[in-house]
Amino acid sequence: MTLEFSTSDPDATGRAGALLGPLLVPGDVVALAGDLGAGKTRLVKGVAHGLGVDGPVTSPTFNLLVVHPGTLPLYHFDLYRLEHEAELEDIGFYETIEGDGASFVEWGDRFPASLPADRLLVVVHRAGDQERRFELVPSGRRAGDLAAAWLAAVREDGAPR
Amino acid sequence: MIRPMLEADLPRVLEIERASFALPWSEGMLRDDLARSDRVWRVAESGGRVVAFGGIMVVSSEAHVMDIAVECDHRREGHARELLVGLMADAVARGAARMTLEVRESNAEALALYASCGFDVAGRRIGYYPETGEDALVLWSRPLVTQAGAVAAARAGDDLVLAIETSCDETAASVMRGGREELASVVASQIDFHARFGGVVPEIASRKHTEAVVAVVAEALGKAGVGFGDLHAIAVTQGPGLVGALVVGLAYAKGLALATGLPLVGVNHLEGHIYAARLLDGDLEPPLVALLVSGGHTLLVHVPGWGRYELLGRTLDDAAGEAFDKVAKLLGLGYPGGPVISRLADSGDPAAIAFPRPMLRSGNLDVSLSGLKTAVIQYVEAERAAGRELRVPDIAASFQAAVVDVQVAKTLRAATGHRVKAVVLAGGVAANPALREGLRAALAAEGIALSVPPFGLCTDNASMIAAAAHDHLAAGRVLGLSADAVPNLRLGAEPQISE
Repeated sequence: MTLEFSTSDPDATGRAGALLGPLLVPGDVVALAGDLGAGKTRLVKGVAHGLGVDGPVTSPTFNLLVVHPGTLPLYHFDLYRLEHEAELEDIGFYETIEGDGASFVEWGDRFPASLPADRLLVVVHRAGDQERRFELVPSGRRAGDLAAAWLAAVREDGAPR
Repeated sequence: MIRPMLEADLPRVLEIERASFALPWSEGMLRDDLARSDRVWRVAESGGRVVAFGGIMVVSSEAHVMDIAVECDHRREGHARELLVGLMADAVARGAARMTLEVRESNAEALALYASCGFDVAGRRIGYYPETGEDALVLWSRPLVTQAGAVAAARAGDDLVLAIETSCDETAASVMRGGREELASVVASQIDFHARFGGVVPEIASRKHTEAVVAVVAEALGKAGVGFGDLHAIAVTQGPGLVGALVVGLAYAKGLALATGLPLVGVNHLEGHIYAARLLDGDLEPPLVALLVSGGHTLLVHVPGWGRYELLGRTLDDAAGEAFDKVAKLLGLGYPGGPVISRLADSGDPAAIAFPRPMLRSGNLDVSLSGLKTAVIQYVEAERAAGRELRVPDIAASFQAAVVDVQVAKTLRAATGHRVKAVVLAGGVAANPALREGLRAALAAEGIALSVPPFGLCTDNASMIAAAAHDHLAAGRVLGLSADAVPNLRLGAEPQISE
């Protein structure tokens, strides 16, 4: 079975993200891949909402890492501006993803070798002007469980498949 | 106004004391204390009426704060801070080197005040308050002589401040006199490190800061022709920014403050961008509205007075500079995207493509740029799919026009809504000629002046941090050495204190 779901517009993408929030535990790492404008940040905004984050969630492209305190700390990375894997060390990537929160890594497919063995890769495809298809590629047992639980929650919520 | 307490003030002082504490001082205790030579009591007046008071006891080199109380209706007006500033000067005059006090652990307002006057938590007295059994935190100030001297110098407009900025990509240091006279400003990317220090500086973030900060500070001091002994204070960006980058500047600044005994001033990076305008135009006075547009930030702020901020609107997704960079990349143009798009737009037709103006009529002052970016992507893909040649100048001009239209409309609404006569445009995107001219024209029609700092002051630099630090110092706002970097620091946020 392919692990994927689709959303009809940015609001639905946000709702799908909000369903993922409560499923997260410390140490979870979700890598996000997809073209410019695919909706990676929109998804993380939804996740933040689901984690009860108070305050705006904006693109971390410039800041590289933005920390959002919620029911679980949300570490929002964006590797778009990085050119070398060694720079991950400089921005505190490794120590942060092993920390006390859940990490979302936009452009997380840039340095695949730097991701932990157990991580969920979410590939966002533009399927139309507003429609998006989310392909879940888990590696490791925890990521597999997380992907299955998220997919079940999205389907129960009735988001179009 | 702060003045010594007189016996005639006692009835009023007791009124405030009784309204403030469960176990207030009695009239007899206060009267006895006033007469003692090792005590100093002061009152703060507002509108000819005593609204706050405080007292210290000086024992050898220590000043103990015995009491500070502010009338309920006059809290958050700065009276307690002014009293502390006055009492610190009194303490210095009587030979005290440090100040100490106990504060109820649950008194968040008092803790925030002391944290912003340079106090650190040194210990805890268990069950100190008999009426509740609550613990007291024991706070100690930093060295009083230098702190009182720095505040006095800032009030005289003669403070010499070293400022350090490492909130994101740039390592920067500046030396400034009186918050307005720049003696030196150094930004790491402008120094040839390889030639001078024989090392290659990495491109991004904290490791670069670690390797550059010492040299950048030394360069700034050298250019200004001053040594650490000439300075009044060390200022540093406390947030917002990348935590790993912020901590480098903060740790170095704390180290310098500790070694020199100088006060440490914490500045909000966003506040610094607003103060950059005052370096260009010394007569600029609030109330004003600031539009801050850069790679990482896009926000509209009402500044009713220097140091006071009301966030009016912000981007809900992408910052303006980021949108320019990403559209430039999509069009296969260079980096940074702003200048390239701006240059190409000159030869394009801004009306060629009707890109959306997201949230133009949303009724609030927030903006959204992600949808516009996606619209450009979809347009480009459709053109490519149809086999048509991209008219890049038209796309650049139309995209830029959409960004400018929204920023101008929101800024105009903010400025007229708050009836300000001045608008500050700051941040790296302020370099965009279309945005500057669009804003200038729209604001001029309403009789509002636009102030745009020169480019070197719009991008990240430390002079803007030093400019803001001057006002903090004059207000007596300094940090203790336990202060942390705050990656999400909000404008106008009070510093936190931790054990």
